[in-house]
Amino acid sequence: MATSDDEEPKLPAHLELQRTRVVCAADAPSYTESVQYSGAYMAYGVDNSLRLEDFRKNHRVDIVSLNEEDIEFDIVGIDAAIANAFRRILIAEVPTMAIEKVYIANNTSVIQDEVLAHRLGLLPIKADPRLFDYKSEEENANEKNTIVFKLDVVCTRKGERIMNGSVKSDQMKWLPEGSEMPFHTKSKFTSYGSTQENLAGISSEGITIMYPDIIVAKLRPGQAIELEGHATKGIGKTHAKWSPVATARYRMLPEVNLMEEIQGKLAEELVQKCPVGVFDIEDVGSVKKAKVARPRNCTLCRECVRGDGWDKRVQLSRVKNHFIFTIESTGALRPEILFTEAIKILNEKCQRILTEISF
Amino acid sequence: MAMCTCCDCLLVAQVIGNKWDTYLDLLQADYSEGDALDALALVRYCCRRMLMTHVDLIEKLLNYNTLERNENANN
Repeated sequence: MATSDDEEPKLPAHLELQRTRVVCAADAPSYTESVQYSGAYMAYGVDNSLRLEDFRKNHRVDIVSLNEEDIEFDIVGIDAAIANAFRRILIAEVPTMAIEKVYIANNTSVIQDEVLAHRLGLLPIKADPRLFDYKSEEENANEKNTIVFKLDVVCTRKGERIMNGSVKSDQMKWLPEGSEMPFHTKSKFTSYGSTQENLAGISSEGITIMYPDIIVAKLRPGQAIELEGHATKGIGKTHAKWSPVATARYRMLPEVNLMEEIQGKLAEELVQKCPVGVFDIEDVGSVKKAKVARPRNCTLCRECVRGDGWDKRVQLSRVKNHFIFTIESTGALRPEILFTEAIKILNEKCQRILTEISF
Repeated sequence: MAMCTCCDCLLVAQVIGNKWDTYLDLLQADYSEGDALDALALVRYCCRRMLMTHVDLIEKLLNYNTLERNENANN
């Protein structure tokens, strides 16, 4: 028979609440910090140190929804600092390809060269950045570090119709053989060893702009644009055009507790109070009882704890180590791959620190 | 001020450059601004304002096309 000595000592309920939850009262949230010190609960005989084994036991990732562009998943058992590291790496440090240099041979449109170049830079390119190398300023452009797109449009009038009145992103043509500029000379801006079509990992459709219908410029008859855009690999920290995500965000899991039975008129009032439908009414016999039906919907607007006595009836909190993560990809990589890339980058950073501090 | 619709939402880099024409079509089809933006799946108010507050100034500049005048003069 197990004696009481064998059991892990537990924290009293109020301390456990402070340790694992952020409690959101009507006026302000409390217990927002995470308790890091290993000996914080020594007086209760509870060891608060971080252990790999505990992490392995408690860590969990559940995918809630996933499609080509968006992913929502729960990541449980990590600290806010780690979740935030992933978010920041996703926004600023996962590389993509974007047009960095624009060589303009002709531009008689009303959009100035530099504005046009900026617009081209923002076009998301459907190319796996893992197939390419970073290009330094001294390095020559080759098939491993530069993707070349060509845009050559002239607006003409054909009877009543205007041809090429608006230039769309699908008119950007990928040049797998490399740059054609400068014209009439042998040495070009890029020196490809082989065609990019043969590069391992390039899909049969080749490299395109992610969306075919982005308006690049608008023209009137007689106006023309002829240019080349050279895309290189980069990170969002340098310029937002290289950011692979539209947004990467997380929120802590909301938890809604009813502190007492809420019945009848009060129950109806509670359901009315919540703008996102967290609560439902349950019929128990002839009594109407409020219940928490969809706590994940809670935005923590705190409407339900406003007003006389409501803060005694409802307790809103957030689970400190449970994050609902959402990633919206702009297209170069699938969102779940973006997250694994982010993990690799964080891992790399940790390895770098380890080598720096070890002798 | 942007002359042409921006390619991306200025805040979160959501691509919106391909949505302007559809937005105008929806407004033509008697959608309200809000419904049109919902139909385009623009959820955040930063992305919504990109289309809502946009004035397509390039259309005004395109009226002053010296190139076509020259072309006609040459003919």
